[in-house]
Amino acid sequence: MNCLDRERLFSYAHGLLGEPEAAQVHAHLGECSQCREVVEHYERLDAVLEEWKPAEPSAWFDARVRQAVEAQEARRAARGFWGLGWVRGLALASLGVLVIAGVAWLTHRHRSVSTPSTLATQQPRQTTATQAPAEVAKLNPRAVTPRQAEKPRKPAPELQSAGVSPSEDEDARALDDYDLVADFDVLSELPKKGARVAD
Amino acid sequence: MAMESDLDLMLRVRAGDAASFETLLRRYRLPLVSFFHRMVRDQALAEDLAQEAFLRIYKARERYQPEARFTTWLYRIATNLALNAIRDRKDEVPEPASGDPDGGPALERFVDPKPTAEQKLLEGDRQRLIRQAVESLPGNQRAAVILHKYQEVDYRQIAQILSVSESAVKSLLFRAYETLRLRLEPLLREGQI
Repeated sequence: MNCLDRERLFSYAHGLLGEPEAAQVHAHLGECSQCREVVEHYERLDAVLEEWKPAEPSAWFDARVRQAVEAQEARRAARGFWGLGWVRGLALASLGVLVIAGVAWLTHRHRSVSTPSTLATQQPRQTTATQAPAEVAKLNPRAVTPRQAEKPRKPAPELQSAGVSPSEDEDARALDDYDLVADFDVLSELPKKGARVAD
Repeated sequence: MAMESDLDLMLRVRAGDAASFETLLRRYRLPLVSFFHRMVRDQALAEDLAQEAFLRIYKARERYQPEARFTTWLYRIATNLALNAIRDRKDEVPEPASGDPDGGPALERFVDPKPTAEQKLLEGDRQRLIRQAVESLPGNQRAAVILHKYQEVDYRQIAQILSVSESAVKSLLFRAYETLRLRLEPLLREGQI
């Protein structure tokens, strides 16, 4: 007779089999002493494991649990309005404000970009410092003063040639400075004599 | 008076009845502390974990849905707490055994017929050997054996507690009992004498 596998016998000994399968194993055990011995071995093991007695809770265990529950209730009551619910509400409100502000900004930006007059005022920003005033004026006449548009950039007059007097040299430097600042239409006056313009 | 079911009690706890929670505490204090003690060995830690399990049940009372048996929920919380505690203590030095940590020589010494008159001490030694054998099992196997053998939880429930299939539970239990059979062989032989 073929013996049953150990796992099946273990399952039988521990009541892990369904009714029909348990009946089959039971019938087999009546005829197979080897399998019966395996089942008995598992039963003995169970009896040995029974010897491990449970630990009793200490006398103060219940009181500790009650205390923990009461502390939990007290924390919950203390939180109340000012607790987590309030923080969540504030966070949600802040998020809402941010979303509204973001939508408003995007809408405003979209309108600004699509208006032609605004386009014109924005174009000078795209020009570079190396572009000549004439080019800038072509792109946007308002961005360059008439004086700048008419006046070609220096080379300086021949005042720097050898043999000029110190006063003439100062005048030449003053003119240099003037040319240097001429591109900036924010300056309406000549720089004072001897004053340097920051680079 | 008929004993109220766990489910009825828990539904009352959910409705705010403190007395029902007290009844559940009295009903499950011993099973839970025993379960934790067998899982983690340390009595103080076992009580801390049992307290934490009760507290979690209390905190979650408003969300409790009677979809599964109360004990399934209770032991699921307890098993997770115990397995986490075991994991946390993994680096700690295990309790020094009187012989080989695997229990081999110690078991042999134990079954060696010593002329001792102190039966109580002898029983203590047997319990220690059984405890060491169960503790040597991997976490899931240990939980399955303790739930099945000592807490008398049905294997279908164990499957829900451990989030595995029923056949996986049967396999876990079989492998665990095979290990225990080998480790406790001296005690089994002695029982036959």
